[in-house]
Amino acid sequence: MTIPRKYLIALVVVLPLLGMVFAWSGLMSVRASTGHWGVTDWFLHWVMKNSVRTAALFVEVPPLDDPALLPPAAGHFETGCAICHGSPAQGRSDAVLAMLPRPPDLKMVVPTWTDAQLFEIVKHGVRFTGMPGWPTGLRDDEIWAMVAFLRKLPEMDANAYLQVSGLHGIGHAGEVSPLPITCESCHAEKRLTEGSIVPRLAGQSEAYLLNSLKAYAEEKRPSGIMQVAAGTLPEESLPELASYYAKQAPPARQIGQGDPQLVERGRELAERGRPADKVPACLSCHEKAGGNPAYPRISGQTAPYLERQLRLFHTGARGGGPFSHLMTEAARSLKEEDFAALAAFFASRESRGP
Amino acid sequence: MNDDRLAASGRPIRSGPSLGRHGVCRRHHLLLFVFPPLASCSGAQSALDPAGPEAAGVATLFYTMLIGGIVIWCGVVGLLFYAARKRRAHSTKSAGQLVLWGGAVFPTVVLAALLTYAVWLMPVMRPWFQDDASGMRRIEVTGEQFWWRVRYLGEDSGPVFETANEVRIPVGERVVFLLKSPDVIHSFWIPVLGGKMDMIPGRENRLTLVAEKPGTYRGVCAEFCGPSHALMAFTVHAMEPRAYEAWLSARKNSSGADAEGLALFLRHGCAACHAISGTEARGTIGPDLTAFGERGSVGAGSLANTAEHIARFIRYPDGVKPEVRMPHFSMLPDADVERIAAYLKGLR
Ligand code: HEC
Ligand code: HEC
Ligand code: HEC
Ligand code: HEC
Ligand SMILES: [Cu+2]
Repeated sequence: MTIPRKYLIALVVVLPLLGMVFAWSGLMSVRASTGHWGVTDWFLHWVMKNSVRTAALFVEVPPLDDPALLPPAAGHFETGCAICHGSPAQGRSDAVLAMLPRPPDLKMVVPTWTDAQLFEIVKHGVRFTGMPGWPTGLRDDEIWAMVAFLRKLPEMDANAYLQVSGLHGIGHAGEVSPLPITCESCHAEKRLTEGSIVPRLAGQSEAYLLNSLKAYAEEKRPSGIMQVAAGTLPEESLPELASYYAKQAPPARQIGQGDPQLVERGRELAERGRPADKVPACLSCHEKAGGNPAYPRISGQTAPYLERQLRLFHTGARGGGPFSHLMTEAARSLKEEDFAALAAFFASRESRGP
Repeated sequence: MNDDRLAASGRPIRSGPSLGRHGVCRRHHLLLFVFPPLASCSGAQSALDPAGPEAAGVATLFYTMLIGGIVIWCGVVGLLFYAARKRRAHSTKSAGQLVLWGGAVFPTVVLAALLTYAVWLMPVMRPWFQDDASGMRRIEVTGEQFWWRVRYLGEDSGPVFETANEVRIPVGERVVFLLKSPDVIHSFWIPVLGGKMDMIPGRENRLTLVAEKPGTYRGVCAEFCGPSHALMAFTVHAMEPRAYEAWLSARKNSSGADAEGLALFLRHGCAACHAISGTEARGTIGPDLTAFGERGSVGAGSLANTAEHIARFIRYPDGVKPEVRMPHFSMLPDADVERIAAYLKGLR
């Protein structure tokens, strides 16, 4: 049997037109309140699960058992995720429960996903659902910290959550702090350990702190966590914050010893560089008497933080203030074994200032 | 094109006493009408205006081949006319003779003669070539993207001092250049004196040269090495031996003390890559800047050496030389850049 040509043409032209007419008529409902049909709901979620599964096939999972990954991720969870998904300290509000689709209680659903799949979801978000992607595409390390935190979420009670996120309270009337999460939640000296990936701010150069805060706010230094923390602050408060932390005395701490061989290799590079590979001596810019205050202090910073930053500079993803390209150039020719050595040396060194 | 860019235009950086009208070119100035490109044959960067025996050999070879080529070309054109006009055909025998003598023997003899001559001109074929360069003054030149590191070596091979983008040699003394590269292949060429010699990563090539006339010449990189290859030149000063010795000893004792300019130079981290002897600046990633004010150019022949050009280079090195390995400093306050530029210009 053959269909006459004119019927075919009518079909191809008329059907889409009818569709447009229907859309124009306004009879197509976009109300969230009425929900999806059961079959639509099933179909959409099925598509989402398949898409995430396929996208996660080639994602390589780094080790996620470092407890230092949790605090900044938990703090960010409170500001960036709990508003929709709720947290162990506070359930979802009725406002988000009326979303379509409803943001799930992550305690219940996290175990149904693998690490790589969680990474995919948190990095890219889910289209048409309200689930946002990570604020920057350049910081997979931060997303992995979030995945590590999500893994721990199901077994966390309110107290454990308060502890790990640095939450000051849950916002009830009469709480000491009006803000649930402040800079101190993550950066307070007493919350930092040898292994922290959150930088120490106390006693850092003021010019550098200000440059960094501006760089986060202007998205010139990619960090999902700090872009959210600094992005909403009024511009005039940045100098105050910078000066607040710069004036704090650097803590009298037990300086970690580190592997002596590693520290020695780091010292060699820091003092003399490696001209054959075009690696300059770090100390010709950093922590010089009379040096430029836009070049930060790095001694006394935690080793994991230093190592992460050096890797970011090395790949060109770090960004930063108006001087940061100098550091990108300085880190460009570092070799794999240099990162740990430099981090160990500076972490074990007494902090000295410009 | 920017007039400040000396390199691209091939203009001399500065003419020495022996440059300009006095060269070999003059004898052949009639040729200029025939070959306009030869108009550029005199000057600080011309192989046809030689100041040393190697370059003179190359120039003679060039003229020999040019004149020989013209004569042969005239002969061939004459033959062509003859063949076109001739009514009666050649006998088979005389045609065979013509092909044998004119088509086989003559080219073979000419080419063999030229080859012999050219091979004889090659360094190792020269009668004065000494494999053992131990007695000679040694200068190590390293081609870097996109500048020249120059080390004057002492008796024991250790460097006496380092400088950049400038080579000084005494007139009348044969000097051996040790040529190296840490990155890609460059080629060392001082057209007025001789060369070229490739600089190959992992190897040390040697080239011995002698300057017979004092003057200021220009050397270039003759092997494409990256986006700023055309902006990689250096100055050669051939000096009277007495002046040379005086320069050597002055250079060994240079010091860059100038409290304020030096403090700014150190403050902004220039010393991470640059050295100035007599100061704490010891970086060796970029060119040594000791006595920088005396150098002929900024940025390996890219700009004439003035305080404004130095400031411009510091602010936008990438604007002067694409993909240069010095980060820009346009974020520094203008006053600081100008102070540093004045300091560098004042270094002797
Ligand atoms: C604006 C509200 C909103 C915010 C903020 C939000 N999400 Fe979501 N999220 C959703 C919604 C809605 C879904 C459901 C998507 C779906 O059903 O396909 C979801 C789904 C998820 C899922 C997949 C769970 C599942 O089984 O469907 C994970 C994991 C997740 N979010 C983690 C996070 C993290 C981590 C953050 C903070 C960085 C975050 N979300 C921030 C709304 C939000
Ligand atoms: C949720 C945790 C968290 C909160 C809240 C937070 N920070 Fe941060 N902060 C971080 C992390 C993690 C980094 C490292 C980011 C990176 O890799 O660039 C950082 C980096 C910084 C830096 C750069 C330091 C350096 O040495 O380069 C500054 C400055 C800073 N934070 C200031 C603040 C201020 C001011 C606030 C409050 C407005 C704040 N932070 C709130 C986690 C946080
Ligand atoms: C040419 C000057 C220069 C040299 C040399 C240099 N740095 Fe830096 N470095 C900087 C500047 C400028 C910054 C600040 C970047 C910004 O504005 O974010 C920086 C930032 C850093 C940071 C980030 C600090 C933080 O709190 O986030 C680390 C770590 C660092 N440098 C380590 C090194 C090491 C290790 C070396 C030696 C291999 C080195 N630097 C050599 C100029 C330099
Ligand atoms: C990361 C290393 C690095 C730093 C830091 C650096 N330079 Fe340079 N500089 C170079 C390199 C490499 C060159 C060679 C560029 C070329 O010509 O290809 C150069 C060239 C120069 C030249 C031209 C030298 C010549 O022989 O013509 C001057 C002048 C100069 N730099 C000044 C400065 C000043 C002033 C500062 C500090 C404000 C500075 N540099 C910081 C690497 C650096
Ligand atoms: Cu070159």
